[in-house]
Amino acid sequence: MSRVLATAALLLALLPSLALASESGGGLINLDKSLIIQMVNFGLLLLLLGKLLYRPLVGKMEERALAIRKSLDEAQAARAEAQRERDEHAAKIQAAHAEAQAIRAAALKEAAEEQRRLVDAARAEAGRLVESARAEMTQDVRRAKQELRQEVSDLVIAVAERVIKKSLRDEDHRRIVADAIARVEKVG
Amino acid sequence: MRAREGTARRYAKALHMIALESGSAPAVGQELAAFLGVLTAEPEARDALTRPWIKAGDRRGIAVAVARKAGCGKLVQDFLGLVAERGRMDHLPEIVPAFQTLVDEDLGQARAQVRSAVALTDEEKRQLGARLERALGKRILLEEHVDSTLLGGFVAQVGSLILDGSLDGQLARMRERLARG
Repeated sequence: MSRVLATAALLLALLPSLALASESGGGLINLDKSLIIQMVNFGLLLLLLGKLLYRPLVGKMEERALAIRKSLDEAQAARAEAQRERDEHAAKIQAAHAEAQAIRAAALKEAAEEQRRLVDAARAEAGRLVESARAEMTQDVRRAKQELRQEVSDLVIAVAERVIKKSLRDEDHRRIVADAIARVEKVG
Repeated sequence: MRAREGTARRYAKALHMIALESGSAPAVGQELAAFLGVLTAEPEARDALTRPWIKAGDRRGIAVAVARKAGCGKLVQDFLGLVAERGRMDHLPEIVPAFQTLVDEDLGQARAQVRSAVALTDEEKRQLGARLERALGKRILLEEHVDSTLLGGFVAQVGSLILDGSLDGQLARMRERLARG
């Protein structure tokens, strides 16, 4: 920057000399007292330019550099913050994943437990039903057998009564009475 | 039914005590049986003695008159008059056996009610009586009647003891055995 300014100042200082030389019809630079004036002129211009242009420009440039540095720092900080937040989010996502995994595992375990419990209960209920049905069936069979025996015995006895009533003669009655009398002492 | 028997037993005991004092218990028993026979044969007399709307005094008069006609003594006449007056004549079928039982106990004897399919011969009655006497250790009076519902044999009852010598009993036991399997 300062190099540009110096080149600009040199060109400005040379401009009057060139003009003077062209007027006098000599070379580019005449080694006379105008040179001193030109040098003083140049020095004054340099001072003036330095005072009015260079310093504010340098100040502005520094200010700008500071602002840019600050922006860079802020951007760096923002990037760091973003990185931290990203890391934090990643950690949170990781934790959420882990938690979800744990919840899923717990839910699966609970579901398996519930399923096992339901299966056990269903199995027990089925066993109970089978046992009950078996007991009922046994009871029914026993009752049916008893009823059948009762009916058969009633039938047999009814037939026997009919046959006996028809076939009994007086001597049979006498014999039955005699047998019954003979059993009386045993009963007593 | 139990209350009815209890009432009958109370009347029978009271009569028994008085009859014992007068020493005429067996005769009283026979008179009561005769009166009961008349009532059984004469349903009108029985109805007149058991209907509650006939005055107590009239019932008593009828009972005493019927008893006199049946040849009952003074004690039995008074007793039957009292029973009729109290409206207990319907209990007489229970009072008479209860009294007979008390008299039989006094005499060391018991009555055997025998139901048989056919009438027992005298020899069979004698044998049955003798065997019952040996078994129970007391004199037995056989009261036999034919029960046509029995198939064969007999059923004898002495007090609460029942001896079943009938074919019906045997068949019933056989039916139970068959039913039990």
